[in-house]
Amino acid sequence: MGVLGRQEVTTAAVPARPTHHEPGSTNTSRKQRISAATKSLTPYGFVAPSFLFLLAFGILPIVVAAVVSFTDLDITGLANPDNISYIGLENYRRLISDSDFWRSLQTTGIFIVFGVPSIIVISLTIALGLSVSSSRLFRVLRMFYFLPAITAIVAISLIWGFMYNTQFGLLNYLLTSIGSSPINWLSDPQMAKVSVAIVAIWRATGLNIIIFLAAIQSIPRDYYEAAAIDGATGWASFRWITFPLLRFALLFVTVTTLIAWLQFFDEPFVLTDGGPVGATTSISLFIYQEGFSFNRFGYASAGTVVLFLIIVTVTAFQLRLYRSNHA
Amino acid sequence: MRNARVRLIGAGLALGALLTAFPFVWMVFTSLKPLNEARTYPPKILPSTVEWGSYLTLFRELDFGRYTVNTIIVVMVGFIGMFFMAMAGYGFAKFEFRGRRAMFLLVLTTLMIPVQVTLIPTYLILNSVGLTNTVVGIAMPTLVSAFGIFLFRQFMETLPTEILDAARLDGAGEFRIFLSVALPMSTPILAVMTILTFIAGWNSFIWPLVIAGQQENYTLSVGLALLNQQVSINPALQMAGASLMVIPTIVLFVLLQRHIVQGFTMSGIN
Amino acid sequence: MRLTNWRPLTTALAVMLVLTACGGVSESENSTESTTPVTSATTDASVTETTQGVVSGTTDGLAGTTLNFWIMGDTATAFEELVSGFTAETGINVKVDAIPWDAVNDRLTTAVASGEGPDVTQIGLSLLPTFIAGEALMDVSDLVGDYPNLTAASFPSDIMATLNPGGATYSFPWVSDTRVLFYRSDILGDAGFSEPPATWDELLKMASVLADRGSTKYGYYIPQWDAPLPVAYTWQAGGDVIAADGSIDLDTPEFRDAVDHYLAFYDAGVVPTAGDWDQALGFITGDAPMLVSGPYLAGAINDQAPELEGSWGVTMVPTGVNNTSLFAGSNVGVWSGSENPEAALALIDYLARPETQLAWYAAVNELPAVSAALEELKAGDDAMVAVYAAQLANSRLLPLDPAWDAVGQEILTMLNSVALTGADKGQALADLFDSVARIVEG
Repeated sequence: MGVLGRQEVTTAAVPARPTHHEPGSTNTSRKQRISAATKSLTPYGFVAPSFLFLLAFGILPIVVAAVVSFTDLDITGLANPDNISYIGLENYRRLISDSDFWRSLQTTGIFIVFGVPSIIVISLTIALGLSVSSSRLFRVLRMFYFLPAITAIVAISLIWGFMYNTQFGLLNYLLTSIGSSPINWLSDPQMAKVSVAIVAIWRATGLNIIIFLAAIQSIPRDYYEAAAIDGATGWASFRWITFPLLRFALLFVTVTTLIAWLQFFDEPFVLTDGGPVGATTSISLFIYQEGFSFNRFGYASAGTVVLFLIIVTVTAFQLRLYRSNHA
Repeated sequence: MRNARVRLIGAGLALGALLTAFPFVWMVFTSLKPLNEARTYPPKILPSTVEWGSYLTLFRELDFGRYTVNTIIVVMVGFIGMFFMAMAGYGFAKFEFRGRRAMFLLVLTTLMIPVQVTLIPTYLILNSVGLTNTVVGIAMPTLVSAFGIFLFRQFMETLPTEILDAARLDGAGEFRIFLSVALPMSTPILAVMTILTFIAGWNSFIWPLVIAGQQENYTLSVGLALLNQQVSINPALQMAGASLMVIPTIVLFVLLQRHIVQGFTMSGIN
Repeated sequence: MRLTNWRPLTTALAVMLVLTACGGVSESENSTESTTPVTSATTDASVTETTQGVVSGTTDGLAGTTLNFWIMGDTATAFEELVSGFTAETGINVKVDAIPWDAVNDRLTTAVASGEGPDVTQIGLSLLPTFIAGEALMDVSDLVGDYPNLTAASFPSDIMATLNPGGATYSFPWVSDTRVLFYRSDILGDAGFSEPPATWDELLKMASVLADRGSTKYGYYIPQWDAPLPVAYTWQAGGDVIAADGSIDLDTPEFRDAVDHYLAFYDAGVVPTAGDWDQALGFITGDAPMLVSGPYLAGAINDQAPELEGSWGVTMVPTGVNNTSLFAGSNVGVWSGSENPEAALALIDYLARPETQLAWYAAVNELPAVSAALEELKAGDDAMVAVYAAQLANSRLLPLDPAWDAVGQEILTMLNSVALTGADKGQALADLFDSVARIVEG
């Protein structure tokens, strides 16, 4: 998912908790931070360049979108501002009664329900496997798993489109050679959801594997040794040591994966263009199509704002859940 | 017994790794086939003869040489952004200042903004500063990412403040301390961010498409998209273009990979 | 800061939204302001040109200028060769930018928003209403008199008037395109058919016979993305998608006939259900030996399978009530912000020369839009050209309505939902009429 520009990064990004220190240690590190430069302008100097860029290309566009969502801006309005008029909440009203919008929400929901657990389970399993040894072989294997994450989405669409192809694709050849009947990977509305999700999962696991692996490796060995003395190995040591100590990594991966699925765009955009019959049209893609295929920018902006609010709400809810479980 | 288990896991992982990497193998093999062989059914795994023709077409007829140069420029500009992110991460990690908390929250909020759907406002902003239709402009919207700032901050919090203070006592300026003390101590996170910055610039697609304006500013992604035609496709040519995009990222990743897990480990997402 | 404390996050968001909403108004004003001067500058420019009075269509004094040209799809290399003659003649350079077909809308939008486009652009006819509504094209009525190849008489019948509403002159036909029936005479012959199908019924019957050749064989191919196809079927059924009062109207017996005809092939299982079907390859392998497509397909077949020559042909589309086909193609027009309208028109004039038109056909198999070139092509002994020309004479334009694009997509969605997911046809039609009504009312 999300490998266009800044998107890329959102696959693994998270609202922060700085470290997993206990509250006490946070206080000490704060004290350490305080230095002679506290009152000067220096810190602003360090932060300002990045901050200004984020304001200009992160915050400002959504603000503009919010304003535009109250207008009927279309291509005539872009050409000539006289053609723009304020229409209040009309776009939002239409959005609520638009069955295509609800359908795209539903489609996104389906992707989330299957996609988030798949990505977490697959990445965690592979990361646990990779962590059992630090031999050269395992380090090489790790690289293989990361490859999809660093590949350009356009290249991915060509490679997978080619493998999925109905006429000369490799996958159908393999299926028929084991006696199974060929599949319309990207043309059957049910199957297309699966095919698109397979590519998204294939691409998203790499970064998450690295994050889990980093977290697993930072668990002190002696915890396991102590547990082994008490007779806890295998599943028990995973259940009682690894899993609890991975909880922040799990939160991180869950939040970022969920955001990425909520913004799901790239794979259906390049593989199916939302089809067949709208079966793979996610919310982002719906908004994009309203905006660019049909030039209804005011309407699309209303969708943008709604999607943004959904993401903020879902994320806040997750963080709250995390806090009530682990406070 | 433990060895047997490790071997079993290793075998399972190797199988998974082969499956994961197989599309790339298929891509490279196909790129070396002549057109009719790339589209035969049943498909042949190995090319019968190795043909470099598709690669030659890309460079001789399709200007991929220029697209490659442009892509490299976009990546270079991206590294300026990486420097800014390192500065910001350092600022957030090692200084206490008014509004720090709010500013950092705002930074993280940008992660939740769906990017593809705010194309037009972003385009208008770039246009108002005259950066549309330029290669440099392509890199602007993605120059700084909240994720990068977050990673830098996480890592730099672990740098010992005593060493920074010692440098201050020696009379070094703040920027100097950042450059010659903090940055050299941050190799693992710099490795992580190098690869992330590289792939962000190298792979970016929507922005080059919208901002490049003229073909002389196109990047590899856009050139590759031009190969996707509705009437009839040429898989050998497409796969050659895809290989051209993918192989450099793989090489860079292999070079940096030992630092990457370390970088994430030390940035404390655990 | 701790993640576990989410309250500041939401508060910050709320505050930010409120604060920036106020700031945002001025921002959007700023950004629209930045486009305003461009638009007015354009009008000023064209006014100045005309008041100065352009002496003639000559290109004296224009040598050394550079024109930017947007071309859609993958024909940029051929086009650069085509215009090398123009540069040699006039000294005007032409810089060609290829726009992927998928990205045309994005590029148009951003160019309109910023006022920064090319000097000359190719415009697919389906996008022409959008280009005009977006004020992307310059009205060159006052300049065009100096260019001999650009008179309305150069082009077939009243096409200039049809494509340039309101008495303006925004663009000129460049290439014509129509849809004809491609068929594999060898495969049809093996199945006992000496002639291609001439009617809807024959098409369906023959397709069914051909599909019985094997489990991966089909009789016909329907591109799932081909929005004009159901409209052409409606015409062939004797109807139209536009009512007498000019509004979009699909609730007609003829449209229902078209829908039935479209779906009949899926019911009979004689067309591939794959959306990623490569029509050229399917035709060359014979897996789908009949389909309705444009002359560009002939080009692809000749390139990829020259050995097939003589075992395939083209003919007029099968008749329902009549055999009207789609008139498509591309125009070229001067971008509203161009600073070189004379040079741009000189280029368009060059493109409209019969010999240029013929050279383009030879290069990429796109049919001429200029009458003289078409006549000359017909006079040759190419049997396929004769079919194209005959079909062009019996073809119609899609509705020139900016809303049509969205309607066309809805029709496709409706048809494919019945064909691919087995949705109920009556319900799907009712839904279609609803959504069309919503699109039309805006």
